[in-house]
Amino acid sequence: MQLKVSKPEGVPAFKGQDLQTQALREKAVLFCVAIAIPTLILILWETTTRMGWIDELFLPSLSGIVTEFLAMLRKGYAGTPVLSHVLGSLRRVFTAFGVGTVVGLLLGLLMGYYKYVRAAFYVVTEILRPIPPLAFITLFILWFGIGEVSKILIILYAGALIVMLNTMAGVQSCPKDKILAARTLGANDLAIFLYVILPAALPSIFTGMRVALSVDFGILVAAELLAGDVGIGYIIQDASVFFNVEALFVGILMIGFFGVISDFLLRIIASKVVHWQG
Amino acid sequence: MSQSPVQATANSLNHQGHFEGTQAEIVSLDAVSFGYSRKRLVLQDLNLSIQQGEFLTLLGPSGCGKSTILNLIAGFYKPLAGTVSHGGEEIKGPSARRGVVFQSNALFDWMTVEQNIGFGFRFQSLSKYEKRHRVETIIQLVGLRGSERKYPYQLSGGMRQRVAVARSMVVQPEILLMDEPFAAVDVQTREGLQEELLKLHEQVAGAILFVTHSIEEAVFLSDRIVILDRSLGGIAHDIRIHLPGPRYTAMNRVSDAFNQYRTDLYLKMKAIG
Repeated sequence: MQLKVSKPEGVPAFKGQDLQTQALREKAVLFCVAIAIPTLILILWETTTRMGWIDELFLPSLSGIVTEFLAMLRKGYAGTPVLSHVLGSLRRVFTAFGVGTVVGLLLGLLMGYYKYVRAAFYVVTEILRPIPPLAFITLFILWFGIGEVSKILIILYAGALIVMLNTMAGVQSCPKDKILAARTLGANDLAIFLYVILPAALPSIFTGMRVALSVDFGILVAAELLAGDVGIGYIIQDASVFFNVEALFVGILMIGFFGVISDFLLRIIASKVVHWQG
Repeated sequence: MSQSPVQATANSLNHQGHFEGTQAEIVSLDAVSFGYSRKRLVLQDLNLSIQQGEFLTLLGPSGCGKSTILNLIAGFYKPLAGTVSHGGEEIKGPSARRGVVFQSNALFDWMTVEQNIGFGFRFQSLSKYEKRHRVETIIQLVGLRGSERKYPYQLSGGMRQRVAVARSMVVQPEILLMDEPFAAVDVQTREGLQEELLKLHEQVAGAILFVTHSIEEAVFLSDRIVILDRSLGGIAHDIRIHLPGPRYTAMNRVSDAFNQYRTDLYLKMKAIG
């Protein structure tokens, strides 16, 4: 026997949007806002400067900056190709960041894992922590000369301190029961360190690295302002002295560009390594 | 201790497959005292012995020392006085011979289900084939087939707890210590987990020491229940549970015998306060 199922009649039509559609719409609107506002600022910038409403000396026109940048690409700046300036800066920042990360990581792991090491370094790090690294720059020049070494060392110090503190916090944040679980499964100290504590600390370590990298870029410019004839910081310094506001902006925008790009790359690496964070 | 009417009833039941209590002792606590400070002891002159293959549950109000006993046996704590021994040897620290399942599951978030379960095998000299085989068998047993390559964050709370139980059981500890392992999952999931645990206990012959707040959970799972009383610093009641086998049948949750045990335990717990 077949069951007769009568189709329900007069099912009310759906009213309004479901939650998924609403969420998608909201995303689209937010994306538009995020794009529209910077575009608007650029348009406003270009029109006000081109129309001469704002003195070029205070704010150069966008097209003026682009022209200056293209000219720099052709002729170089202060007799040095732009690529050399850029590479000089990137070499400094990444050498310092790389070595600083390794140093900070090792110290942070030791301080996080051994409470005696932590106790030994506690007072020193607590005193150093609130002091802006730039406060040491004259001292570094005094100790290591005005050349490349003191520039790299000051950047290195700033980054290493941040990576160290974050690594230490990461190691300490490892849940106790995960360590105990590993121990009851037969793991020795080394295995617990490699398979439990280190992976548990990785998210913190990467957070530290990202903060350190952005701080390193800041210190880079400050260090290059002081001395030397190569680097994006040097362009900024030199352009300021000669009131070459277009070149000044090119330098500023280049720092911003490389800062954003390297943070983006670091974020991609982090999401690949710390993939379990969902 | 005089025999309660419940026990009399239960003893007259035709039970099969339950623990008989004739095997050798596996873990024992002799005159154990413990407290975070000497002045405020949680356990005082406590004697407790756990038999091979036994399913023993510690029941009692918060702060009565249930978890403390478990931590002492695991080797996480050292007693202030007395000895805790395993197979006649004093326990000096954690060992793979005593597995632990934590309430928080304590899974390694950076490892897949398979890697979590196989973790203990990194420290054992078994053939690759044997390791593979044991991991696959237990994955099948706890119903994790198809989730081998997933990470803990991709699993539900119940599934995560299954992984935790499998991870501890796969290395075949002589005793498995479980500290309120199912307290954080919903009722339906919990019942499923309890039944699976009983099935696993049948297959893997180790003893289980289980800690819980729930009277129902204790009666359904245990061969023996020990009720602790903080004011005594030790054991208030030691009760054998006899329910018909197989123990994991759902009927055991609603039978008269079950209800009698539950009532009896409820009144005993109430009396402790």
